[in-house]
Amino acid sequence: MKKELFKIFGPLICAFLLLGIFLGLPLFNRGKISKEKMREISYSQSTNIFKGRYVKNQAFSGKYVPFFGSSELSRLDALHPSILAEKYHRNYQPFLLGNAGSQSLAHFYSMQPVNSALHGKKAVFIISPQWFVKDGTNAEAFSLYYSNLEGVNWILNSKDSRATRYAASRLLAMPTGSSDELMKMALKKKEKGKPLGKTLRWYLEYRRNALENEDHLFSMFKLNDRTQKVDRAMKKLPERYSVGKLDAVATKLGENATGNNPFDVSKKFWNKRLKGSYKELKGKQADYDYTQSPEFADFQLVLQQFKDNNMDVMFIIPPVNRKWMEYTGLSQKMLDRFDKKIIYQLHSQGFNNICDMTNVKEEPYFMQDTIHLGWRGWLAADTYISPFMASKFEAPHYKMNDMFYSKGWQNLSGSGIDDLK
Amino acid sequence: MINLQPYQNPTYFVLLAVALLPLAIGLLYGKRFKVYEMIVSFAFLLLTFGGVKLNEGLALLGYVIFETLLVCGYHAYRKKQNSGYVFVLAVVLAIAPLLIFKLTPFVTGKPSILGFLGISYLTFKVVGTVMETRDGMIKELKWYHVLHFLLFFPTISSGPIDRYRRFRKDYEKVPSREKYLELLGKGVWNIFLGFFYKFILAYAFGTLILPVVSKYALGHGGISWWLVAYMYVYAMDLFFDFAGYSLFAVGISYIMGVETPVNFNKPFISKNIKEFWNRWHMSLSFWFRDYIYMRFVFFIMKNKLMKNRVHIASVGYLLLFLIMGFWHGLTWYYIVYGLYHACAIILCDAWLRFKKKHKDKLPHNKFTECLAIFVTFNVVCFSFLIFSGFLDTLFFAK
Amino acid sequence: MKDTVLGILEDLTGSDEVSKDLDVNLFETGLLDSMATVQLLLELQAQCGIDVPVSEFERSEWDTPNKIIAKVESMQ
Repeated sequence: MKKELFKIFGPLICAFLLLGIFLGLPLFNRGKISKEKMREISYSQSTNIFKGRYVKNQAFSGKYVPFFGSSELSRLDALHPSILAEKYHRNYQPFLLGNAGSQSLAHFYSMQPVNSALHGKKAVFIISPQWFVKDGTNAEAFSLYYSNLEGVNWILNSKDSRATRYAASRLLAMPTGSSDELMKMALKKKEKGKPLGKTLRWYLEYRRNALENEDHLFSMFKLNDRTQKVDRAMKKLPERYSVGKLDAVATKLGENATGNNPFDVSKKFWNKRLKGSYKELKGKQADYDYTQSPEFADFQLVLQQFKDNNMDVMFIIPPVNRKWMEYTGLSQKMLDRFDKKIIYQLHSQGFNNICDMTNVKEEPYFMQDTIHLGWRGWLAADTYISPFMASKFEAPHYKMNDMFYSKGWQNLSGSGIDDLK
Repeated sequence: MINLQPYQNPTYFVLLAVALLPLAIGLLYGKRFKVYEMIVSFAFLLLTFGGVKLNEGLALLGYVIFETLLVCGYHAYRKKQNSGYVFVLAVVLAIAPLLIFKLTPFVTGKPSILGFLGISYLTFKVVGTVMETRDGMIKELKWYHVLHFLLFFPTISSGPIDRYRRFRKDYEKVPSREKYLELLGKGVWNIFLGFFYKFILAYAFGTLILPVVSKYALGHGGISWWLVAYMYVYAMDLFFDFAGYSLFAVGISYIMGVETPVNFNKPFISKNIKEFWNRWHMSLSFWFRDYIYMRFVFFIMKNKLMKNRVHIASVGYLLLFLIMGFWHGLTWYYIVYGLYHACAIILCDAWLRFKKKHKDKLPHNKFTECLAIFVTFNVVCFSFLIFSGFLDTLFFAK
Repeated sequence: MKDTVLGILEDLTGSDEVSKDLDVNLFETGLLDSMATVQLLLELQAQCGIDVPVSEFERSEWDTPNKIIAKVESMQ
């Protein structure tokens, strides 16, 4: 009987042992990524890279600067910050982090495996007002941008604090955050501020090793190579940097790309996304509210991490397409309040590099579509980004305030915001 | 309370391995730990139908109580009398919950709360049992045996569809050690082949390739090469996903010492549609063959309602595949899928008759065999394209 | 009895293969299908007076002429 049993289970046991060794030992290191590959990756907005460690770690140890954002980053026209930086051989190159659906919480966790590489760096963070909806980040979108590698790193490195407890509770509320039973157990301890204990820590370290091996092996699959598009776009730019000439290029590109619709959104976007449905959307956004959201507390986690990493960050708040706003009835008053609230959260804690565009009046070719910056909008952002990047790094002095995690702050609205000073 | 859907994630398999270990050891030493098995079954049912799915769990509970009472009631009646009307009534009552579940969305516009994962598969088991009772084949029937048969957890969510007598016979005896070692080996093999099918091949076809192909096909619109690609990719996804799932269910049954019938036997090497249905989703097609087609033909012939054999067969096929279509769901593409297969099999029968008559004149060699496999494969893949509902999205969705 | 059964089978399959090889697998070779099976059951009822319900028909127990003959004999 033993022989037969061994025949059945022997190969199985061997396979598990091999897999355990294979993933558990620090066996894999793909070495240095070539310059060309890194360039491709910096434009790719791949979720595997976003969730991983290996590639980001190398990128941030060099000249690449993280540009945290969401769908606007994928609007790769000639005036896109990445393309401007590359064309004019600036001392930095954006590394695009995020795409549709990546919000504060996803960005907070994405920093966890690479905090040491981010230490003392500059960064740009684009805040979308549209993130700040009643329920905050969508669980499915979050799961797309979250990996256990991030979670394990965070659990092992974070110290007990209000921020830590809040971050643990948020992750526990997400289905992917609690997909691993032992990690769930660890998160529950973090949520209550209890120590992990030896065995759990041992397991998590083993797990981190396995996940890092996986990251080394698989994170560079399925990249979206957009370098040819970038090359074509760069050719459209003048040889020497001049805001006037660039504005002319932006205007021309905007002119060519729009024109078949009353909202000045790009023809492509119009045909694909609005043409069929815009009639139903008239007046539909009148009751949209971006002032009450758990996103404010999630955003506070990001700020806390910037502080802990001693980073100097520029925040960009893009506007909404005016004509579209009027058509859908999105309230300017509400947007103003959102703006005031988020600026308060930034200023009061010492985050003073802010490019606030929410009040941009009707400028042509500023927006590529309804809510995403394009041509002249990107250029306007660049007039903030470029001097910020060129300036000498000054160690920032942030004064964090845990009040921003509170329900009271998350739900502060109306006159409560008007009263802020 | 955690909720785990069967065979979906590693945790489920780890829990299974731990829970089944004592059972396997017992069977190796010629013992079936029935009480322990009952506890394990209950725990796994709770895992699938508890927590956030508790509403489904309650529906399941109500359903099995109702059906068990029905089967036992009919069995008690059948011992004394044998009226055809009562039999029909029993069958109608047995399918009633499924019918209500399927029809509610059309009447109220909302999904029915009566449903739970696997309701249609359980209905097959119940109807089969009622029919065999009618034939007087099930001599002894205990309510707890019926309950156990219905709630056998490895196959509860999507089959394979077992038969009451076969299941009882397996369960009553403990396999010899040699036999059990063989089952154990096959079980482990099935489960790992299932991993390969479901988590590698079906993942590649269904999650990686299908969305891309689908996007291009929709972008192109109408008939395109992308649509053809979609057809093959979908067929592969459907097969590897379902076959993988079936392998898990069969593998786990084997480890529990029950030889649940297999569901797939290399369906894509079939030389004609008839053979295909003997190899594809076998427990379902055999169910339809034995309980619908053969009974229908028997009934017609015995009562001499029709004379022509060919016509009887054709009507039988139409009936069988239409019911199968409706069973899949009340949408045009499932019903067309059923009709399509009925036509294919009627044509296939005609061709087989023709072939038999002209045996000496028709060539038969390796090439014609390959051609037959190729043609059958494409006919089948096209039927899956209908089944997928993609044509509906492509042509009719706005 | 044996001859009666073989006679029925020959009629149904339209070939004398069944009498030549009594262990030929009737289903795998395609000699019998579901339709013919039902006819077989009806003929057995008519000619031999035995009543076989469709449920009783377990294919693996009826798949060669020899097995069918044995079955019929046991049921008489």
